[in-house]
Amino acid sequence: MEIKSHLEELLSSGKFVVTAEIGPPRNADPEVIKKKAKILKGYVDAVNITDCQTAVVRVSSMASAVLVMSEGLEPVMQMTCRDRNRIGIQADLLGASALGIKNLLCLTGDHPKFGNHPQAKPVFDLDSIQLIKLVRGLKEGRFENGEEIKGRRPYFFIGAAENPFAEPFDFRPLRLAKKVKAGARFIQTQIIYNVEKFRKFMERCRELGLLDKVYILAGITPPKSLGMAKYMKYNVPGLEVPDEIIKRLEDAKDKKEEGIQIAVDIIQQVKEIPGVCGVHIMAIEWEEAVPEIVKRAGLYPREEAPSFMPPFVVEKVVEKVVEKPVEVIVEKIIEKPVEVIVEKVIEKEVPLEGEMAEEKIFTLIEILSDLKASLKSLKAGMESLEEGIARLEEEFLKKKEARPIRKEVIKRPEERPVERETFIEEKPKIEEKVEEVVVKPEAKEVKPEVKPEVKPEIKPEVKPEVKPEVKKEEAPEEIKPREEEKIEVKPVIEKPEAKEIVEEKTKVEVKPEVKLETKPEPEVKVEAIKIGGLKGIYRPLSERAKNLPQDLYMEKATGEIKEVVIGKGDRAIKVGGVSTLNFHFFEGEMKNGVKFAFEILDIKPEDWPESLSKYYRDVFHDPALWAKKCVEEYGAEAICLYLVGTDPNFLNLPPQHAKKVAEAVVKAVDVPIIVWGSGNAEKDVEVLREVADIVGERGAVIGPIVEANHRTLAAVAMGYNTPVIASSPIDVNLAKQLNILLENMGLPLDKILMDPSIGALGYGLEYTYSVMERIRLAALFAQDTKLQVPFICSIGREVWKTKEAGLPTDELMGKAESRGILMEALTGVTLALAGGDLLIMRHPKSIELCKELFRGLSMS
Amino acid sequence: MIIAERRPIPEILRNIENYQKILVLGCRGCVAICSAGGDREVSIVAEAIRLARTLQGKPIEVLEDTFIRQCDPEYLEPLKDYQGKVEAVVSLACGVGVNLIADLYPEIRVYPGVDTSFYGANLSLGEWVEKCRGCGDCIIDRTAGLCPIARCAKNLLNGPCGGSQGGRCEVRKDMPCIWHEIVERLKARGELEKLLEIWEPKDWRPAGGDGLRVRVREDLRLNGGKKPWR
Repeated sequence: MEIKSHLEELLSSGKFVVTAEIGPPRNADPEVIKKKAKILKGYVDAVNITDCQTAVVRVSSMASAVLVMSEGLEPVMQMTCRDRNRIGIQADLLGASALGIKNLLCLTGDHPKFGNHPQAKPVFDLDSIQLIKLVRGLKEGRFENGEEIKGRRPYFFIGAAENPFAEPFDFRPLRLAKKVKAGARFIQTQIIYNVEKFRKFMERCRELGLLDKVYILAGITPPKSLGMAKYMKYNVPGLEVPDEIIKRLEDAKDKKEEGIQIAVDIIQQVKEIPGVCGVHIMAIEWEEAVPEIVKRAGLYPREEAPSFMPPFVVEKVVEKVVEKPVEVIVEKIIEKPVEVIVEKVIEKEVPLEGEMAEEKIFTLIEILSDLKASLKSLKAGMESLEEGIARLEEEFLKKKEARPIRKEVIKRPEERPVERETFIEEKPKIEEKVEEVVVKPEAKEVKPEVKPEVKPEIKPEVKPEVKPEVKKEEAPEEIKPREEEKIEVKPVIEKPEAKEIVEEKTKVEVKPEVKLETKPEPEVKVEAIKIGGLKGIYRPLSERAKNLPQDLYMEKATGEIKEVVIGKGDRAIKVGGVSTLNFHFFEGEMKNGVKFAFEILDIKPEDWPESLSKYYRDVFHDPALWAKKCVEEYGAEAICLYLVGTDPNFLNLPPQHAKKVAEAVVKAVDVPIIVWGSGNAEKDVEVLREVADIVGERGAVIGPIVEANHRTLAAVAMGYNTPVIASSPIDVNLAKQLNILLENMGLPLDKILMDPSIGALGYGLEYTYSVMERIRLAALFAQDTKLQVPFICSIGREVWKTKEAGLPTDELMGKAESRGILMEALTGVTLALAGGDLLIMRHPKSIELCKELFRGLSMS
Repeated sequence: MIIAERRPIPEILRNIENYQKILVLGCRGCVAICSAGGDREVSIVAEAIRLARTLQGKPIEVLEDTFIRQCDPEYLEPLKDYQGKVEAVVSLACGVGVNLIADLYPEIRVYPGVDTSFYGANLSLGEWVEKCRGCGDCIIDRTAGLCPIARCAKNLLNGPCGGSQGGRCEVRKDMPCIWHEIVERLKARGELEKLLEIWEPKDWRPAGGDGLRVRVREDLRLNGGKKPWR
């Protein structure tokens, strides 16, 4: 008979178990999984491997399980019904068992709609309960169709999940009973924050007599941040996060520390509930937290697994490559699963003969693509390097004679390696220093083979215990055995060949490059902003129309536009709240008037005409100073930070850049902030998610949300409780549709500002006007509640990019500056008349002009 | 009934780009009732095509007609009169009609004017919702008349998944979780135990997994029928 899994052994002997979870990476890098396994080893009894969680493509659960086993940790393979029919499922289960996987968690799986391939055909040939039953059948020797399994049967310790908090609540224990009946032996529950509700659930399970039949492991997740907790509260169906947890995080100085403590507290509580046989800690993308939680919860040390033996021994070959021009050191670890059933053979030589005769070009391609592959797995901060490599690749492959490639392994003084240098007379001069770290007889055997044609893919035999190159600038003495890959960049600006790449890199870091240029700034005389008032004497309508019966000209609205609060505290502003067409004061109220926001950019503007630039040039280099100037000098009541630099079609700056800028702006000013992404639906999700973390607590507006990204961004907005900009392309129905979608997501209408996508004077202003007017009429007079939302109009951006705003002063076109100001002011006034509630503009004078006019219009 | 949706005019135009004379052919069956391909829609589509082609400077002659049904060879008989008179037919019937025309009149170039969507009910003016998926093996006797194959995003057969919240489906938040309703109804009827037994995996062959689906009623067939079917 089969040997039980370690997990099953522990549970059946009554031990309190700890399991955790690993989410495999979205690339083919085995090291990510192994690294996570290493973190968890010794702290958990088994580790779940998700099966493309949230329907996002990742390394398969089975492959990851094998990798985890190679680290000496017992896996719990997860299997969903989303991607395979009963044929695929059974095939994979036979395979998993053959590979030595013994724990299996059977799930229905997240719907593809939530993942990164929403177009995929969802399979769901079986559901989780049918899957459990199928696995039990396999164990008992028959396939799903009833056919007998001849030969070795697979063996699995079968698990299932249950959500104690999902509705219908009283059906959940019954459904759990079904799973037990189908063959589930252990249950891992959904994340528990509401311990009381879970207690009730367990009580009901006890009544149903389930506790004797199944081991229940309570699901625990440390909230990594306040945002995450809120996200779970509002966006994850069937996950209850009590306000008390949110409060604890809000009050905590160190959110992470508090998150860990919350997890520990919940473990202590659920441990006492009868029937809870263990905990399942899901530290999502935060595996490092698990050891700490386990220790603090008094669950450390774990029982030693009886000499765990995977069916595979993974052989490691470490290769180090240094690409001179980029100054990148890449250490790759190549692994070959070898069918070795002998003892723990880790050291085995790699045969090199077969790889000798290929052409150089392929070796080049291989190096470069290897490099690229390794690079991809690194964190976002290294993104710019990728481009550098790509460029190199192109360079080399096009005219490889042009530049010599130098490949070397940097040696460390601690070791006394056998050093060899091989020079080759061929055109692409490859100079290679291969360093043998461990002197072994094999090294000698390798030597002659290297000579004929130095092939970069020759893997210099290095033992796994090799200590890779240490970051020189940081801590030359720090030498630790490390197996993860590492990329290092040295800012070697003097070297001409590195310059190209370095330049690209500096582009990403915005601030330094700008500073130099701004110093010798020409003295521009900025004229006073104040504008004289309106001439003439105001006569109220009641007087002018005194001879007409009121009902001839009056038509009161039946609806009202919602009020949206932007910002927090004293400086918060309200927009909307109108109960009439704008400025029809004889018919209704405009509680909050028309508001203005000054627009600033995250980078130095390139195409702003002089007539506009001269007001801000001194602060172009620093968005924080810029914002400050708008507030202090020009009296801005709100700031709109337009993150144009993050646009993938422009500078494509990373989300971290946006975060940095937002952080500085938030610190510099206390007025409400609007953060406007690049408008690229995909990128905005990444960017705004980061930025919301900074501006969220300031009640800042984030956007634009479009239909393509409304799901994720609405969730972000709800998590941080911020208002949003709902952006649709000049159309009544599309605007309404987006509002409905957002509302369906759970975002209330009083958190939405509509951006109808406006056109500037001469560039579609009339069209914008008529669409906005129609929306407003529907909202006020036709009870169209989904349109009773204030308008936000991004005017400055549209006006100042027009040709006319940028043309110099000449006889035909008149003065450049007044032309631009008037264009912006006219666009602003027109759209305010159409219903605009919040106008984002650039020129201090045009804003002043609009304000003056609105003051005049407000007299009645 | 079968619910269909008119295809975007540019797509229809692309198909008939090279023709000067076409027929827009409607159907008074399901597509007329769901306002996708009846008389009214025929005249709208025909007019749209004329307008668009006039604008393109390539005027086109568009004939209009609507048959009682397009899913019966008899009702398609009058199509013979158009043979040779028009270069192509844009059928606003469901996919069945288009296929049958293609089967019976191989020389006629027929193009779909609608996308055939689902089997649904007309809830209110202008709203149609899917109720059946035609899986060929009806199970709604066990689920209080509510179909989890058509109405559950995951086709579950053993109760609601963990995403059911507040009676809503997590995949379509504007839609009810059909399993929640099934549970509630059976509970009210005191028949909840129906859901406690494990529902076996579904046989998908009647749903089309076994190739083309054919139904025969021997007693009605004339002269041994028309095999093989095409």
